[in-house]
Formats: sequence, C-alpha cells, structure tokens
Amino acid sequence: MEMVKAISLDVVEIVQPAKEGYQLTLRLNLSKIPRGKDSMKVISEISTVQATILSSQLKEMLWTVNSEDTFQGMCKPIKLVYHPRETFYVIKQPLKIAAVFPMRFKEHSDVIIATAFLQELTDVGSSKKWAKVPPCCWAPIPPPELRGEPFEDLSTNGGFVTFDIYPRHIEGKRLDKTVWSLLNFYAYVKYHVKCTKGFIQRRMRKRLESLVETLQGPNFGEDEQTEKVQGNARCSCVGKSVQLPKFKMLKRKYGDFTRKIKKLRFRIKIHGFRRFRQRWLTIPKFSSSMGYTKLD
Amino acid sequence: MSNTLRLYLACIRNTLDAALCLQNFPCQEVERHNKPEVELKTSPELLLNPILICRNEAEKCLIETSINSLRISLKVKQADELENILTKKFLRFLSMRAEAFQVLRRKPVQGYDISFLITNYHCEEMQKHKLIDFIVQFMEDIDKEISELKMSVNTRGRLVATEFLKQFV
Repeated sequence: MEMVKAISLDVVEIVQPAKEGYQLTLRLNLSKIPRGKDSMKVISEISTVQATILSSQLKEMLWTVNSEDTFQGMCKPIKLVYHPRETFYVIKQPLKIAAVFPMRFKEHSDVIIATAFLQELTDVGSSKKWAKVPPCCWAPIPPPELRGEPFEDLSTNGGFVTFDIYPRHIEGKRLDKTVWSLLNFYAYVKYHVKCTKGFIQRRMRKRLESLVETLQGPNFGEDEQTEKVQGNARCSCVGKSVQLPKFKMLKRKYGDFTRKIKKLRFRIKIHGFRRFRQRWLTIPKFSSSMGYTKLD
Repeated sequence: MSNTLRLYLACIRNTLDAALCLQNFPCQEVERHNKPEVELKTSPELLLNPILICRNEAEKCLIETSINSLRISLKVKQADELENILTKKFLRFLSMRAEAFQVLRRKPVQGYDISFLITNYHCEEMQKHKLIDFIVQFMEDIDKEISELKMSVNTRGRLVATEFLKQFV
C-alpha cells in the first residue's frame, strides 16, 4: 500500500473495496501521468506493483535473519506458493535462512538437462571465486529440515536445491536482488532447459547436413565419370568440326558475307530495294541429299 | 582415435567389404516381387550367418547378410544419463529423416540404436567402397557428435550457472 501511494497519488488511486475475487484494485488516471522521462518512471513503477506485492512476503522473511531473536532448534518450514507446481520452502535457522526448491519436470530429458545444470551450479557456487554468493547445494533426496511435510510436496524427479541466505546477502540493495533471484529460480532453470533443447536441435540439424553430404559422395564419384564421358564427347565434336566437308565450309563463308550485308543500314529508303536484296543478295538454301523432307 | 576404436572400425570395414556382394534375386514365394530377404527371411538358404562385432558390452554391431540385402545394426555407447538422452534424441532425429540417407532404416532392430538396410539396388546405384566408407564415417561421427554435445551442454550449464550467481553479487 505504501509503495502504491509512493508512486503518485494523482495517478494511482486504490479502490476500496477491491473488485470481487481480487485483493487489490487500482484506478489509473492516465491524463495525469507526467510527460517526458518521468512518464517512463511512473509506468515502470505501476507495472512492478504485482512483483513487489508478491515478493514482499519473502522480503519480510529474509529481513528476519537480522533479528536479534535467538533460536532454540529449528523453525517449521514455511511453504510459499506462487505457482501450483512451483512451491518452495523457507526455513529459518540460526544465523541463516534456507530456501529449498523441489524441482519437478514433465519430461525425462528435461530432468537430465536440469540435473546437469544444477550440478554445475553447485560446483560453481562452491568455488572460492564465488564465496560471496549464497552457498547452494543439490541433492536427490529432500533435506532433513523438510521431514514431516506432505509426501506429495516432497515427491520430485529433479531433486532439491537449497540456498543458504546469510545476513550479508540481504544488506542494502542486495535484498532486492536476492529476492528477485530466488523468486525467478524456477523460471531461470526452465528457460535454460528450453534453450539447451533448442541448441541440441540446431546442432543435430547441422550434423544431419554433413552426414547427408558424406553419403552423396558415391553419386559424386559417378557424376565425375559421366562428366568425363560428356567432356570427351564434346571434344570429339570439336574434332569433327575441323574436318567439315567443303560444302559446309563454303556455306559458312557465304553466311558470314550475307550477315555483313544485312548489317548495313541505309538511312535513305529506296523503294523496292528490300525485294532486290532478298532476291539478289541472299544465297539460296541448298537442300541436302541426306536431309529429311516431309511428305504430304 | 583410440586404438580399440580403430580396430573395431577396421573389423567392421573388412566384414562389410566381404559381406557386400549382393545380387538381384526375385522373391521365391511371390511372383514378380523383389524383396530384401534379410528382412523377410522366407528362405533360410538365402541367408548367411549373422556376424556380431563387439567393442564392449555397450558398443556392438550386428551384420546380417542375405543374397540380395544386408542389414547392419549399431549400438552406440551411453556412459551416463546425459549421453543416453543425447544418443536417443540424435538417432531418433536421424531415423525420422531416413529418406535423406536412402540406406537408413526407420526403425532400429530390437536391442540396437540404429539400423541400415543396404540392398543390391543401392550397391548398383552407389559405389560399394563409398557405402562402406559412409557407414564407418557415420559411426565415427556419431561418437564424436555425442561427446561434443555432452561437452557443450555441460559448458552451457556452467556459464548459465555463473550468470545466475552473478545476480547475487
């Protein structure tokens, strides 16, 4: 409520009571949204209202890490449900809070890819370079803190991921980052699985092309042979053309001469010259004795 | 290439070289039909003894020969779950596009991951030694591709994990 009021009282108004079936109803006065750069700021603040409300619960829980209360033993795990299939637990322990994510996937291949990712996450997180980040671990069985929880909630196919949040992880601006990362952990893993599957598909498609090329090799071998044969045939044609009969040689020679004459263009048109040219300056066609004559 | 793999592939190459002497042979049961005998197995006199070449328990190759056709089935090694799903995905992907390969069978023989069916017509259309080269090359490529894919998936996972942890810093 405070956050909504902090946006701008003129722009956003909380409707009391909220619309039936909803927890919060806001009325926006679009005409009062400031113009320029401020407009983007106000719009982004309004759009983050839902995320802020949803994260407030976890934020409050994480704040209590710093509280001075001394714990004798462990608290009961608190179940957070943002999505029916994506519940997670927050367990308060002395000096830290453990966030436990039961991982469930629909397909077996998703489980394998996600498991590989979670093992890498554990490896990277345990390295010295990443000592500042919350320690994380992955186990196929539920952690002992979750004993006593319903069996349905503890039956998973992707194991359990646990992040230990210490007070240093929620100092100042880090709190928002930590809350955001924890709330989006499921989406992050699922998106990674989806992208990895796409990557595998792309690689397979590329490999298919190269394999098909390998198989087409034998045909190429045959093509080379046929090309050779064709090439030889062309060469033999050229060879034959050298030994043309005298009649053909003459025909070719006179053909060139007539073509040259035809190319001549007279600017002055002489009446009847075309007929004259057709009659006297063209070489009559000789019919070959071997030629084919169509019979009527 | 490791020494054992070289020997395994050399053995398959030599066996295929000996087995790929196919000839046209019409069906003895149905007139004007010409079918691959290795698939139908109608007449035992037209079949040769199948040859099983094993590199280890997980990697083996079955070569079944008949008068007019040859069937070669391969089992690819799968060391862990990730290799298992990658192999299954890849070989299923190839089997679904079997028409591009001509000699690839749509469904592998039971107990194997992928099968090829070579008939006398394939031997007439393509050159025998190049067909053998293709099969051996295919086996090498599959092994290489699956190990590369596994490495890529793990590397991607590590990079994505690093990016996720960066958010906390």
